[in-house]
Amino acid sequence: MEFTDIIEAAGLLCIFLGIATIVISAIGLFKLPDLYLRASAVGTSAGLGVASIVLGALLMDFSGLNLLKAVIAIIAQLLTSAVGSMAIARAGYLNNALPAEITHIDELRLTRRGENRS
Amino acid sequence: MSWPFRIIGFLLWYAKEFLLANISVTADVLRPRRRMKMRPAIVAVPAASQTDSEWTLISSLITLTPGTLTITISREHGILYVHGMFVDSREQLVAEIQEMEDRLLHAMRRVPGDLSRPTERPVVRPPGDGAPRPPSARAGEGA
Repeated sequence: MEFTDIIEAAGLLCIFLGIATIVISAIGLFKLPDLYLRASAVGTSAGLGVASIVLGALLMDFSGLNLLKAVIAIIAQLLTSAVGSMAIARAGYLNNALPAEITHIDELRLTRRGENRS
Repeated sequence: MSWPFRIIGFLLWYAKEFLLANISVTADVLRPRRRMKMRPAIVAVPAASQTDSEWTLISSLITLTPGTLTITISREHGILYVHGMFVDSREQLVAEIQEMEDRLLHAMRRVPGDLSRPTERPVVRPPGDGAPRPPSARAGEGA
């Protein structure tokens, strides 16, 4: 087996790992009880899932320019997915999407208008 | 260690944490519902960040780690409100987040400088809200 074959196999493995991560996080979307836990589950696909697919594609077709593109793609993807998750979580909390029952500590609720009177 | 090496060290440490967090969240999603280990909580974490870029980076990095999610920050009180997926106690999540912040600030600042945090639990109340809370209903002690 030649060196390029090994690299190509590693690329395929990365792509399949990424696909598996995304599928599992989709299952999480159905199974988890509230907005914040779902956002956490989606975080795995938006971070590791997409990053390992990009890495796999890079390994299968390697060049200097592709390396640069892949690095930019991964960094931009990680940054935007983090900011997006925060925006969704904040919007949910402001719109009264309260956390599920199993959330055993909620210190943010104390800052809500009206909660302090009880 | 000099400054550029501290950045590389932080990135390696963060990559390790990121992978471990991914594995634990993925494993928990795959468990049958009755045996899930989830214990979600929203905790107010005192933070030592000062500049805009430090606040942005720490909250983005927390959100990027699967299983923890910054919902909002209060710069005035120096607090990050973090939603955690596997939280056994308030102190455990606070320690995790503060370790990440310590490492981040050591990597970002040429001179680490002031890393002190507000120690007392601040009373954050929306403006114009009613009477002070009775001490029996303090944060985190109820169900």
